[in-house]
Amino acid sequence: MARNDIVAMILAGGQGSRLGALTKHLAKPAVPFGGRYRIIDFPLSNCSNSGISTVGVLTQYQPLVLNTYIGNGQPWDLDRNDGGAFILPPYQKSSRSDWYKGTANAIHQNADFIDGYDPKCLLVLSGDHIYKMDYAKMLRAHFDRNADATIAVIEVPWEETSRFGIMETDADGRIVDFQEKPAKAKSNLASMGIYIFTWDVLKKALQEDEDDPKSSNDFGKDVIPRMMAAGANLQTYRFSGYWKDVGTVESLWSANMDILDRPDDLNLFDRSWRIYSRNPVKPAHYVARGARLQNTCLTDGDIIEGEVDHSVLFHSVVVEAGAIVKDSVLMPGAVVQAGAYVQKAIVGAGAVIGKKARIGFASVGSSPYLSRICSDDITVIERGLQIRAKADIPGNCMVEWRDDLSEGNVVERRNPVR
Amino acid sequence: MFIDAMGLILAENRRLSLGELTSKRAQAALPFAGRYRLIDFMLSNLVNTGISRVGVVTFNKYRSLMDHLGSGKAWDLSRKESGLFILPPNAQSDSLSSSGDIGDMTAVLDLLRTSHWTHVLVCGANNVFTTTFDDFYKRHVDAGADVSFLYDTDGAEANRSATVLTTDKAGWVKEILLSPESRAGMKVSLDVMLLRRQLLIELLSDAIARGEHVLSLDRILRRHTHLRILAQPFEGVCLRIHSVESYFAATMRVLEKPVRKSLFWSALPVYTKVKDEAPSHYCCGCEVSNSMISDGCRIHGRVEDSMVFRAVTIGARSSLKNCIVFQDAYISEGCELENVILDKACFLRPGVKLVGQAAYPVVIGKGAVV
Repeated sequence: MARNDIVAMILAGGQGSRLGALTKHLAKPAVPFGGRYRIIDFPLSNCSNSGISTVGVLTQYQPLVLNTYIGNGQPWDLDRNDGGAFILPPYQKSSRSDWYKGTANAIHQNADFIDGYDPKCLLVLSGDHIYKMDYAKMLRAHFDRNADATIAVIEVPWEETSRFGIMETDADGRIVDFQEKPAKAKSNLASMGIYIFTWDVLKKALQEDEDDPKSSNDFGKDVIPRMMAAGANLQTYRFSGYWKDVGTVESLWSANMDILDRPDDLNLFDRSWRIYSRNPVKPAHYVARGARLQNTCLTDGDIIEGEVDHSVLFHSVVVEAGAIVKDSVLMPGAVVQAGAYVQKAIVGAGAVIGKKARIGFASVGSSPYLSRICSDDITVIERGLQIRAKADIPGNCMVEWRDDLSEGNVVERRNPVR
Repeated sequence: MFIDAMGLILAENRRLSLGELTSKRAQAALPFAGRYRLIDFMLSNLVNTGISRVGVVTFNKYRSLMDHLGSGKAWDLSRKESGLFILPPNAQSDSLSSSGDIGDMTAVLDLLRTSHWTHVLVCGANNVFTTTFDDFYKRHVDAGADVSFLYDTDGAEANRSATVLTTDKAGWVKEILLSPESRAGMKVSLDVMLLRRQLLIELLSDAIARGEHVLSLDRILRRHTHLRILAQPFEGVCLRIHSVESYFAATMRVLEKPVRKSLFWSALPVYTKVKDEAPSHYCCGCEVSNSMISDGCRIHGRVEDSMVFRAVTIGARSSLKNCIVFQDAYISEGCELENVILDKACFLRPGVKLVGQAAYPVVIGKGAVV
């Protein structure tokens, strides 16, 4: 791909409030996923594998983890002489300064950055989906159809159409109508939040959007409808394959489980389309005598002495002898101490489950940590928390740091997380 | 810590041979402990000491080594001024010899002359340990030594061609013995030496003048009896790799907790080339016990007391005991392996049985289809 064909912008500023404690300290795109990745590794690797060499990452909410993680872009081969990976936070300007008010406004505020590369097209991505996609093919379709904008779409089950932006197209795939989260959908083609715009056209549309005081400055809600009303050539690009929004506790958990239960769908083993990530620099994992592993993913630095069934473990996780872990996601450096029982939990980085503590042993129970964000009996433990020995935490809990550390609290203390 | 030294790693110890395992790769490029190659340990030790210029002296078969080291980025040695320098023999060298050995030292001399550090750490790559050389360096400077050797007394593990030091009570070397008959309890060199860069240049120039073209510092030093040579003990775990048997035994020792701890969990990272493999998948029905397994593997069968490198597939109903499996190997269903070293990208057809002895493992060469 020629360098000035396309620049990619990843919208990574969202809080992801439906993930509760998991996004307390970091933005949603930085949430660990799939054993050795963070969510943003997927769009970044897709860009790199598609031959896109200039990628802006728009950050706003809790950007520090994301900033240090992306660094100069080297793990994704995005440390380039001309182009590369760039973190783009909101910045102070001579006349006025603003936070990013919406997705479209975030791009508008960085129009000068994009102009610096003089691209024909702009690829706009969101940092909260798990999928593998060749954007080069989509760009080719965009050029072939002489489109002003091309929106990637995927067929979703009819009963779920009310959760998505739905595209109605003519026989050739040109968009004729667009409904945001319709009660009664006319099509089941959902927008994946992946847009290619002809940059000149978009720049004008963004300025118009900016001049409209009533606009919420959002691509889906404002810019696309405006372009359609103005008669722009909006095309769809059909994608089929694994694609999952991981915006909720349940969807994050089940997407992790997909790696175990449907390994060929996402196929992380595919050498022709690797997903890159920053390397933790740890030794190979060690499985002790007496350990038991069934349908589980392990990665560097793990030490397993206990029993792990149907779980995804990130690097440097320790499961001590006599501990049992089932249907869970253990993030980097989590420790499950001897005799503890962990079921259907997402355990944050560096959290320690004390000896003989039980998480999710009873799927239903009472706890001050019961949370509406958690569903399907999944429990979340905030990173760094030390869970008291013999504590009993039922399903559907969001265990977060609270200043009250009386005996009754299942949290004993908080450990620093690097 | 600030250390005024550069590093020099000798990638090949010509007194040793590891048979088929090193028939197509330099000794320093020999895979070890699941995701490393031997040189990673010494490179990481140097980098963790704060050294930023490292020359790697190769002799032949250095393609695998160059592929592994690349620009040195994985060790933070891709630098503008300093960084990593791979020094293959220079066949067009001005040296007189026409043997394949020429030029080892001329390339080294060039690198030494264009460096500005006061000291040089000269290291082999056959001994595996994790440390920094801060204390070694400090004691060397404080004692006013010309040369310092690092040693341990675990002579039983040493090979026949080891370098043994006899010292006085203060640790000053009286004699440097090459390949003595008895080694038990003696001070055996770890192939780590520290000396002033200028002195090293003089010693090498002198050796070249005498017609030597192979960089063997302990041999050279034997001639220079006026030098004050200090022997310094190394207290940690060191695994010596000098034969197929010792390689096999060292690998099995990595499975022991104290050894794993000392090599990998001392807060000093061991760097290696990044491969971006997916996490390993332990499938239903697998049985794994006392084994280290790297990323990118798919385990369906049984693995016991074994070391498995990256991207290996172990089929259902297959069983491995006391095995070392290099990366990209594919073991089909129903295989049975005991005391086997399976080199890179081997393919085992269903039902293959291979049994070696613990003291004499079977080695299956790179890319073999069995």
